[in-house]
Amino acid sequence: MAKLPSATLRRAHLPSSPQQFTQCRHASLLRRPHRPYTFTQLVTLSDGSTYTQRTTSPQPIYRSTKDTRNHPLWQPSLDNLRNVEQDEAGRLRAFRNRFGRGWDLESTGEDAGSKEGKNAAAGSGADASKKTAAVGAGSDEEGSLMDLISGGAYTQSYQQTREASKGPKGGEGQGAKASAKDPAEDDSEKAKKKKK
Amino acid sequence: MALRELPSVFSRLTVRGSRSTTVAAARNCRRYASSQATSTTPDLAADLQDLESQSSFTASEYPEEKIKAYDPVKRAQGRKRQLPPSRFQYRPPRYYRGPLHPHQPPPASDPSSRVFVPGPFSHTRLEQTYQSTIAPDLMTLTYVHKPPGTETTPKADRLRTWDDSSPYHKGRPKRGPRGPGEVLRIVEKDINWRNIPKIKEVTVHTMIKGATEDSAHLHVGGIMIQAVTGVRPTVHRAKHSVAQFGIRKNTPISLTSTLRGDQAYEFVDKCINLVFPKIKDWSGVKGTTGDGAGNISFGFDREGAILFPEVEVNYDMYPPKMIPGFHVTVKTTATSDRQARLLLTALGVPFYGKLVD
Repeated sequence: MAKLPSATLRRAHLPSSPQQFTQCRHASLLRRPHRPYTFTQLVTLSDGSTYTQRTTSPQPIYRSTKDTRNHPLWQPSLDNLRNVEQDEAGRLRAFRNRFGRGWDLESTGEDAGSKEGKNAAAGSGADASKKTAAVGAGSDEEGSLMDLISGGAYTQSYQQTREASKGPKGGEGQGAKASAKDPAEDDSEKAKKKKK
Repeated sequence: MALRELPSVFSRLTVRGSRSTTVAAARNCRRYASSQATSTTPDLAADLQDLESQSSFTASEYPEEKIKAYDPVKRAQGRKRQLPPSRFQYRPPRYYRGPLHPHQPPPASDPSSRVFVPGPFSHTRLEQTYQSTIAPDLMTLTYVHKPPGTETTPKADRLRTWDDSSPYHKGRPKRGPRGPGEVLRIVEKDINWRNIPKIKEVTVHTMIKGATEDSAHLHVGGIMIQAVTGVRPTVHRAKHSVAQFGIRKNTPISLTSTLRGDQAYEFVDKCINLVFPKIKDWSGVKGTTGDGAGNISFGFDREGAILFPEVEVNYDMYPPKMIPGFHVTVKTTATSDRQARLLLTALGVPFYGKLVD
């Protein structure tokens, strides 16, 4: 029985790399995407504002106790969020006058002095110095923003003006220091009286 | 599509070949006035003499009585039960078998497609804020006015050209910067109404150290990432062995999940409004973050990860010692870190420390 020519003859083909034969993809599976179920959740922020969001959490309402609405970092203008001690009756001050400040571990002498000054007389030199510092920081931020707009030209002009107005600022600072020292001196005098 | 056009092509050929089959061709196909007009020319007809005038498509010898007997309405009424739902339903192919296969899967936007993802279902709060307030503000604040007639000095070309010492240099692409480790960095573009930076995608990544000994860490971390992000995370294997970390090659070691669109905005919103304020003694995101191309990263440690509302709601589910922290990379369309930081600051992320642009 004669063999068919197709069986005896080899098909002519171009010489090629063996990788071409291994790369043979007949079909690729279309995978269904894995998606976790998401619920619609009503989020109530601490100031009462609400909004809905899709989450995996099955809780229908999420009440937030601490968020950007009652955090001093995002609400710098709200004083009641800050950790400032309320001493309207002057009892803490009286205690400190009597027993000193040895229990206040964290605060340094200068800080404590400025705090007392603030408590004693609102709108004193210390307050003024703080305000000027805050204003300075604010203008610095503004300067960096302005730099973004004007390409660095703002900072130069700002520094020039600052150098020009350095004199009166230093004077203010000294005044603040003097006012801050006063209560400390009072303390030392009282201690002397006690010893007597 | 190709199959649908085929009869019309054949009909055109037959019309040209012989006038006699025009009626048969016109029965199931459209007629073309232009082709009929050109069929009178003898040379064309001579060319097409070799073609068969009758194709198997046009010559349908369907028996007349079968056509008469075909009454689908009667058959449907005579049916006792309703057809099974699979007869009414289109099932897309499970496999994609290449562009030439006759059975093509529907596009991904088709609801019957296997890869179809429905949505979006709602407008995200943060995205609405972005569209209404943040984007116009950014565009206005970063506007650089150039008076008409301003001469802009063209910058030097960053790519190196070939000296034409060889004729083969003609048409060669320019070369990149010289030296090892030198890459072509992205150029910061001015913000205008067309390229206001926005959030492109968010990648949540965690490298789970305990996964080298016990894969349970990986499972717990994966479920936590999925709960937090709403996206099934992908597992990555170690590319190299690192003896210091105790990592062997090909060990599953880390998880990522990528959020896009609404999910990305919702995740960033959640981070900013609900999680960041709850972290103890948190001063902000470091100002030195960013890869120089407008992608900002920050991280949550284990305590931070617990504060997410999705973890909080069933915290008992997770083995307490296996909860990992994770890194978040917010990829923006901004072309520099300072523009990206401007966007994120506008969204409500505080930055502290030295700001690196």
